[in-house]
Amino acid sequence: MDRSADTASGAQVRLRNLYKAYGQTAAVDDVSLDVPAGAFVSLLGPSGSGKTTTLNLIAGFLTPDRGDILIDNRSVADVPPHKRNIGMVFQSYSLFPHMTVADNVGFPLRMRTKLARDEARKRIAEMLALVQLSHLSARYPRQLSGGQQQRVAMARALVSRPRLLLMDEPLGALDRKLREQMQTEIRRIHRSVGATVVYVTHDQSEALTMSDLVVVMHRARIAQIGPPNALYETPASAFVADFIGDSNLVEATIMGVVGDRWTVRAGNSTLIHAVPPAFSASAGDRVFLLIRPEDMTVRPLMAESAAHGDQIVGTLKERSFHGDVFKLGIAVGSEVLKAKIAREDGGCLEVGQQIVLTWKNGAARLLPATDDDAASGRSAAP
Amino acid sequence: MTAIAEHAPPRAHAVGQAIPALLLLPALIWIVAFFLLPLVLMCWRSLAAEGYSFKAYETVFTSPLYTKVMLTTLESASVATVLALVLAYPMAYTLIITSGIRRGLLLMFVFIPYWVDIIVRTFSWLILLGDHGLINALLRNLGIIHAPLPLLYSEFAVLVGMVQILLPLTIVVLFGAMLRIDRTLIAAAKIHGASSWQAFRNVFFPLSLPGVYGAALLVFVLSLGFYVTPALLGSPRQTMIAQTIMVEASELLDWGQASAAGFVLLVITTLIAAIYNRYFSLDRLWGGSDA
Repeated sequence: MDRSADTASGAQVRLRNLYKAYGQTAAVDDVSLDVPAGAFVSLLGPSGSGKTTTLNLIAGFLTPDRGDILIDNRSVADVPPHKRNIGMVFQSYSLFPHMTVADNVGFPLRMRTKLARDEARKRIAEMLALVQLSHLSARYPRQLSGGQQQRVAMARALVSRPRLLLMDEPLGALDRKLREQMQTEIRRIHRSVGATVVYVTHDQSEALTMSDLVVVMHRARIAQIGPPNALYETPASAFVADFIGDSNLVEATIMGVVGDRWTVRAGNSTLIHAVPPAFSASAGDRVFLLIRPEDMTVRPLMAESAAHGDQIVGTLKERSFHGDVFKLGIAVGSEVLKAKIAREDGGCLEVGQQIVLTWKNGAARLLPATDDDAASGRSAAP
Repeated sequence: MTAIAEHAPPRAHAVGQAIPALLLLPALIWIVAFFLLPLVLMCWRSLAAEGYSFKAYETVFTSPLYTKVMLTTLESASVATVLALVLAYPMAYTLIITSGIRRGLLLMFVFIPYWVDIIVRTFSWLILLGDHGLINALLRNLGIIHAPLPLLYSEFAVLVGMVQILLPLTIVVLFGAMLRIDRTLIAAAKIHGASSWQAFRNVFFPLSLPGVYGAALLVFVLSLGFYVTPALLGSPRQTMIAQTIMVEASELLDWGQASAAGFVLLVITTLIAAIYNRYFSLDRLWGGSDA
């Protein structure tokens, strides 16, 4: 019966039309999701987007109003948290303050298994070695640094070899450097134990670097699901584009379609756009034009080069040096567009200069402009 | 620039220290005038009553009456404290796991008796426990007993009265301590395999112990000074030290003796509190630094 850890594999998790409301407000609204066995899946979204509620539903701390959760194809609707065989790392670590590190890590073993003392002690030692804290086993949590407490929480969550590990913003309280170090660490541990991980974060770079699959949540719903690079390259909405990575979202209007060529008007420029939108659109529709800053190329405006085709003319407002790249802010109308260019290309530019912005063919994408996205704080270019 | 930087902080520091001292002043004056000064006077009177001697203290320590009363006091206070804690704990826990209006209502029920005067509450026990009181009448009407049970004027009656008076305070102190326990720790215990009972036993209960010890000390010290309750509900055998002091002062008019007994009670109470604090200091309970 005991699923041995030597062949430790992750659990498959399926959310089926989950719905949970607090009063009149839906915290999780019709969320369906398939988490493949052994995958590292992030729930990413701003605060209040429903990601933590989703996690608490999987843990069993909350009961869904509608919908079902299947772990390994079995509904866990009637299974209380302590019988779901889940490990969890909490945002505040939630280590037991009255127990030593070793007792904290051994807690799930004492509760879940009937391991002999020696065997339990061996497992605790193994776990502490995995998180590189063997030397601190007799300490109390309050005697540890944030990063160390974080590792203890990981060890405690994994010691009973659960097939599913839930993590609720586990790195939120750490400083940036430690956070990056722990990201690598968590990935390493995930590979070595093989459990399925559902990871909640509001930090998009964390989600992108760590996950096999990212679930972007927005207003209690799933905005998009996909591998990190797919979300970055082909976001389905302005919200996702804006939330993941740096982006320029320019309000535009579709002027007409000839074959594959979409003509859009943004500000004073008429642009020919070669990539058809992934949504149904027709002439006259308001859309967003998404161009990632690193896809922009810039050159000073020369007298002889008249503006034509896929280009926008603006004034260089900001130029900041970031070691490998320059980041530019170019004012076009009332909007400031961002560009990220190689170090050697940025040296000759001066603030105040007229700049021609162009981008690779296919680097710009059309995204639907919904009222929903407009509310995310963007204003139209005049 | 450097010079300013070096000199500025100490001055700011001095001002910063003066403000808390000023804020403490009113309370300090109050305590000195109405507590420390009378205390010194009491101490002086206990020594000066019969021409500067320790005679009054000798009586306190050697007379069988004082020994007996002191032991009764310690015993009643201890038992009442334990009973109050045992009864208050489940109630405080209930308050913790409820919320909103239900918690508010429960808290109100805890507080209502607290707002009623101690003497009124004690008298109500006379009505309940007397020979013709509610309990005896009920039992007799049901045919369970034929002669009234001697409930009143007993140790039982004194303890019932004391515990009832101590309960609201005990509940509130425990509730306050339990509020400080991070509830996600319970969630952490549950997700890692603990049933509700195991989570309570392994996590909540140990973490609530500092609150229990704190409440115990508070309630015990308070019950050492009980006067009305043993006087009304107990027999002479349940006499507690506060009653004896009262008799010395107001009936025998032996203020020297009363002062000495009062002073001894104060010293014993302080000693108990100090020893207790040494063994149950919060630091150790929270997993101690290097104890």
